[in-house]
Amino acid sequence: MSDTARNRNTWLSGAPRRAVLGGAAAAAAGFALAGCGSDDDGGGDPKGRKKGEKITLTFWSWVPGIDKPVDLWNSKNPEVRVKVEKVSAVDGAQYAKMHAAIKAGNPPDLGQIEYPVVPSFLVDNGLLDLTKYGVAEHKDMFVGWQWQQSVFGKAVYAVPQASGPMGLFIRQDLFDKWGIEPPTTWDEYEAAATAIRKKGAWIETFSATNGNRFAGLAWQAGARWFGTEGDTWTVSIDDEPTRKVADYWYDLARRKLIKTIPDRQNAWYKDVQTGSIAAWLGASWGDALLVGNAPKTAGKWRVVPMPQWKKGDASYANWGGSTTAVFAKTKYPKDALAFAIWLNTDPESIKLLIENGYGTPGAKQGYTTSQLDVHKDFFGGQAYSKVFDEASKGVDTSWKWGPATDTLYQRLGDAFTAAIGDGSDFRSVLKKVQGETITDLKEKGLKVKAG
Amino acid sequence: MRRVSKAPRRFTRTEARSARAASGFLLPFLALFLLCFIAPIAYALYESLLKVERTGPLGLGGETKQVWAGLSNYAHALEDDRFTAGFGRVLLFGAVQIPLMIAFATALALLLDAASARWVGFFRTAFFLPYGVPGVIASILWGFLYVPGISPLVEMADSMGWEVDFLGRGAVLWSIANIVTWQFTGYNMLVLIAQLKAVPGELYEAARIDGANAWQVARHIKLPLIRPALVLTTVFSLIGTLQLFAEPKVLKPLSNSIDSGYTPNLAAYNEAFTSNNQHIAAAEAVLLALVACVLSFGFLRLVGRRGKDGDSG
Repeated sequence: MSDTARNRNTWLSGAPRRAVLGGAAAAAAGFALAGCGSDDDGGGDPKGRKKGEKITLTFWSWVPGIDKPVDLWNSKNPEVRVKVEKVSAVDGAQYAKMHAAIKAGNPPDLGQIEYPVVPSFLVDNGLLDLTKYGVAEHKDMFVGWQWQQSVFGKAVYAVPQASGPMGLFIRQDLFDKWGIEPPTTWDEYEAAATAIRKKGAWIETFSATNGNRFAGLAWQAGARWFGTEGDTWTVSIDDEPTRKVADYWYDLARRKLIKTIPDRQNAWYKDVQTGSIAAWLGASWGDALLVGNAPKTAGKWRVVPMPQWKKGDASYANWGGSTTAVFAKTKYPKDALAFAIWLNTDPESIKLLIENGYGTPGAKQGYTTSQLDVHKDFFGGQAYSKVFDEASKGVDTSWKWGPATDTLYQRLGDAFTAAIGDGSDFRSVLKKVQGETITDLKEKGLKVKAG
Repeated sequence: MRRVSKAPRRFTRTEARSARAASGFLLPFLALFLLCFIAPIAYALYESLLKVERTGPLGLGGETKQVWAGLSNYAHALEDDRFTAGFGRVLLFGAVQIPLMIAFATALALLLDAASARWVGFFRTAFFLPYGVPGVIASILWGFLYVPGISPLVEMADSMGWEVDFLGRGAVLWSIANIVTWQFTGYNMLVLIAQLKAVPGELYEAARIDGANAWQVARHIKLPLIRPALVLTTVFSLIGTLQLFAEPKVLKPLSNSIDSGYTPNLAAYNEAFTSNNQHIAAAEAVLLALVACVLSFGFLRLVGRRGKDGDSG
């Protein structure tokens, strides 16, 4: 979520990508990591701030409009000023910068980090274990599974900000005109894709480079790409549920029932604006993305739940989501934590964040569901946050992220790119990426085996 | 060095002073050279020979040690088919794009140098202008012209019944070649013009007296005389080709045909900044530098030898 949305039609868009994409995922019910993180504070307990001392904390974020809640904080906390430094979210540039800063020994105090990449920062010993500073007292204020995204063993490394439960955005007017029912299962989705194709339009695109969405699809189907056994990581990207998903989309692509252009790029925006693409399987933060990029289609959109593999199921996935993390090197861990908690739980702050389209809040309270329907008019008055709310409840929280998610997405993107190029099936992609991911984790000095 | 005396050579006072003065001038250069050139190369070499070892449960939270890796990072890089494919790709790119661009540049230079050329200053600036546009911006601009649905070019082709996909698998490399050619032809042209300007006018006069026409002058006088400039621009282009980065990086999100190892430089960048494996990235960078070195010196030797043969023949 972070990312949110807002992304205008940025041409370079990747930006949004990551951002948007973000994050991810979810869920996890906590890695059962045996006690890692006991010595993660980068050496030496920082003394913290003396009473009355004025300090400035730096906060690297790319969330549009993040300065608004930060300004509010600054006006209320003259002693602990927070300075936002915007980092580019194009193609993972923000994480490259953060990793480089950690290596160079001068990271900021706080950073916006998506759920899927939290483990890669732990491998770098880059984040502070917040349990020593009393983070546990705030646990009940947050949605359980989002909280668990940053819990490793007993250590807590970040404060949840928001997530992105998935749903299907559709052009209701076009579906009505063509007499097509919004699909509730993947079989119906295929039928809808076929019907829409006959009308000269497309239901969607399968974007080779969008590993984040593919992860969401696999997640929904019951895949668990990463796990742990003792102190060994397990990798199971090439498992049955993921193969089912890969075969499904390969079939659609082969029969040319879906486009294969990259999503959230100018060509895609154009298709969305003109109605040549009639739906988008997106996440809750995607509302702002559509509003920002296809303003002329206002009123024509609706949100329906993500199609199911079996009729009547309620299995969903998450795409996007990020945290406010405190870096290990900060001199003022208590103040940094206080700010992170305030930013993500204070009702006024959440209101400002929601207005900027940051996704589904990680906080349990501090907002009303109706606040999430900020773009109600765009969706023809639909209270669409209910769809995402339901989806959020159906997200399997046992999904875990591995320690090199960025690399994984890149691997998936490369392999899908090649497969779409030469027409080979998507199963081969999984096999390839499975092997590569195991090698990648070994390269990082981790113990790993096929799951 | 007209010294005749056989006596053991001793610095005279003047010589010593000028040596001191010379080193005074040299030192700042040497310092910068060491700091900005030798040190990074040495550091990259050093990093390329290390790897990371992690301890602690699941490798999290424990200690991170850098240990000696020998040549394993190089082996890893060479076994990565994406990385090696990237080399193949840039070499193919260079084999087609460089001759084309140099031919264009030479043609433009000769045309602008022709005595009858009008508005030379204007055209020179116009051709050179694209070089002033940073590669990233150029790629964004061209990207707009390549993306279907936005591009007037694609639309025009469409209306004439052609289906073009500038960003498709077979085409995207040449779409990049087009950007590079657009950007650098004018720059190379300028180098060639500079050398043309240095050709003494008497040669042309003599040729004219001998009855040579403009084409013969170009073919037999101008071209041979700007050979050093041609060699220079070719070597620069060769190195530039191997370092291809901004164009594929910018076009990547727009196209499903560019992977993260599309060019060796992009592969090293992604290894360092996406995967966070600086050691492998360093090895890839060193390999890239080696290939660039071998190719440019190889090319220089090749043309050097041919040049000599030509002279003697």
